[in-house]
Amino acid sequence: MESIALRREQQTAAEPATGAEPSYAPTVQSQGGAPPQFALYLRRWLALNRSGLRAVLIGAISLALFLLAWHLLTEYRVVFFVRFTNVPSPSAVYESLTRAMHDSTFFMHVILSCRRILFGFSLAALIAVPLGLVMGRFRLAHEILFPITEVLRPIPAIAWVPMAIMLWPTNEQSIIYITFLGSFFPILVNTLHGMSLVDPVLVRAAQCLGAREMSIFREVYFPASLPHIFTGLTVGMGVAWVSLIAAEMISGQFGIGYFTWEAYSLVQYADIALGMICIGVLGLGSSALIRGFGRLVMPWSRT
Amino acid sequence: MVRYLGFRYCSVLGAAAALAIASPAAAQTTVTIGIGTQDTTTNTATTGVIIRQLKLLEKYLPRDGKYANIKFEFEWQNFTSGPPVTNGMMANKLQFGAMGDYPLVVNGFTFESNPESKSRLIAVAAYSLEGSGNGMVVHKDSPYYELSDLKGKLVSVPFGSAAHGMVLKAMQDRNWPANYFQLVSQSPEVGSTNLQEKKIDAHADFVPFAELLPFRGFARKIFDGVETNLPTWHGVVVRTDFAEKYPEVVVAYIKAIIAANAWLRADPKLAAEKIQEWTGINKEVVYIFLGPGGNMTTDPTIKKPLIDAAAVDVKVLQNLGRMKEFDPTKWVDDSYIRKAYAELKLDYDAELKSTKNYEVSGEDKFCKKPIGDPRKAGEVWVDGEGISPYSSPACTLGAYADIKAKGKKINVAYVFDTARGIKLFADQAFFAVAADKSEIAPFLLKKDAEAHATKIKGKVLGFEDALKTVVSGG
Repeated sequence: MESIALRREQQTAAEPATGAEPSYAPTVQSQGGAPPQFALYLRRWLALNRSGLRAVLIGAISLALFLLAWHLLTEYRVVFFVRFTNVPSPSAVYESLTRAMHDSTFFMHVILSCRRILFGFSLAALIAVPLGLVMGRFRLAHEILFPITEVLRPIPAIAWVPMAIMLWPTNEQSIIYITFLGSFFPILVNTLHGMSLVDPVLVRAAQCLGAREMSIFREVYFPASLPHIFTGLTVGMGVAWVSLIAAEMISGQFGIGYFTWEAYSLVQYADIALGMICIGVLGLGSSALIRGFGRLVMPWSRT
Repeated sequence: MVRYLGFRYCSVLGAAAALAIASPAAAQTTVTIGIGTQDTTTNTATTGVIIRQLKLLEKYLPRDGKYANIKFEFEWQNFTSGPPVTNGMMANKLQFGAMGDYPLVVNGFTFESNPESKSRLIAVAAYSLEGSGNGMVVHKDSPYYELSDLKGKLVSVPFGSAAHGMVLKAMQDRNWPANYFQLVSQSPEVGSTNLQEKKIDAHADFVPFAELLPFRGFARKIFDGVETNLPTWHGVVVRTDFAEKYPEVVVAYIKAIIAANAWLRADPKLAAEKIQEWTGINKEVVYIFLGPGGNMTTDPTIKKPLIDAAAVDVKVLQNLGRMKEFDPTKWVDDSYIRKAYAELKLDYDAELKSTKNYEVSGEDKFCKKPIGDPRKAGEVWVDGEGISPYSSPACTLGAYADIKAKGKKINVAYVFDTARGIKLFADQAFFAVAADKSEIAPFLLKKDAEAHATKIKGKVLGFEDALKTVVSGG
């Protein structure tokens, strides 16, 4: 973002000299007045976006430092208890990336994975949130369902692979099922947690005012637990990506998780790192989407 | 800066180690040897699981000279495929690793870029010069009987494995385009489950899955690696930094392999039972690979045809864009195995030249004659009693019916493919039976059996029907 601002400044500085813009050229005063006016805008814009800019700047610096550290550690093949002897360097990964970019299958991998995550995650959200609300509201539902979910929750995605193959008619469904499981439980647990924190006074007040069950749900429980639901969604999205490699072991031909897995079976470390980074970046992007959506839905919160 | 820190840390450690050696209380140093094995890959048994379970390595380790004060500890790690072994070796957690031909060349190539150490091929576990061991199976209820039936169908194979090489070679031999099958990569675990659920049309895999899945009852083998006629083999690699520091240990390891081989051949039935106990692979399946006349020849010598096959593997991987320059001949180091043979007073060069397996032998108790041609023979494994040899397919089937009539439980019966000489499960074979019942010839492939049946003016029967013919034909 900083660079955009800089570029804009350069552009404006150059424009009067070229005189390409007819509105600027005829009047002499505006030619002299433009830079200070621009400086004013810039200062105002800077003041308004100070915290955002700061975050971006520091973020960019820390990422750059991370890259630099990675480069130095692998370049000098540092052995300091942790051994970087055979860890691929950033340049090797970049080389893999350029090779992958020239190959349309890489985009296929990425797009298919995104689609699987989208389906798996959406299904999980659509089922886990209402289920969590119901379990939080009605004790019987909680008593019946909670033990089952607690037993299923700790099972890692990779252990589900054979079962998922047998359960579902197509492989695509098996894969979506595993990403679904990954995001389902964090969403459910957080929704339950949100429900348990709803102030009973609010509920009683609503009841006193004659609200029916449906309205209480809609007007009290749901908004009150929304922040936690969104925490659940963010965590759930992360875990969905975590379970991707396990899920795409089934696919056998496409998906960024499969790409990483295949690179492992051919011992290509740079490709493995590329797959890892790709999953990381996609995970970051999708979590950011959810956070942005959360801000839209809950303008009152400041997450 | 960072490097300097690392150096200092090392020197501190070094000083500590020097102190430790200097002090008399800690005179013994412990060296951990990591060995990566593939227990489920039956034909690596003589380089892994047998040595581990019988503690053969302990028997041959050097104890005097510079080894007087060294205590060796073993860390055996078991994997289902080769790549994790290579990964462990790269990380120096494993010093030895056993794997199949494709993973082996990937291993050698991956080590080329390792500044600390290279890897060298020091011994072979088992091989099949014809390429048996790898195979393709379909669901037993499927209508596919040969490769061309699978055109455009979904076929899975673990990419980068020996089975992958077999599929590529088979397609190349037939001049089929790369998209003849819908080829996808699935590990044995995933592929087996998918085949059982009929999610894929066929699954190609390495030892022992092409035999194991039919034996477990839901698959049928439709293609055997012998049809590619490209050798397939498993071998052992070692990190050179370890081998240069402790060459005697490498020699001891090879001696242990030789001992494991001797143990296996001395009593293959017992070996099969023990390997089942150790690895969970059914003894009947182990025996079809490692038993007499089995589909794999266990022989540690590094034969030229195998290295030539590795060079072909390199080309296949290069065509896939998975590998750059790699010369397998430079990666072989037979100095250790030669030393091991010399120290055991065995003739390395003689065994290097020989490509003979040990064969079915003995007296046919049913037809009352000795075994003539071992590759026309058969064997029946009676539960609790043992394995008996029979001189011909007809005698084998006759004996089978006889034993069954006596109410005994039969584990499995083996016959040999008439054309290709590979060992088969009798109940999975197709039998070409002459009209006058004078000849019964078992085949792996339906099309081979049909061709032979036309030649001898007979018909093709399944196992049960062939059995009936033998009984009624007296």
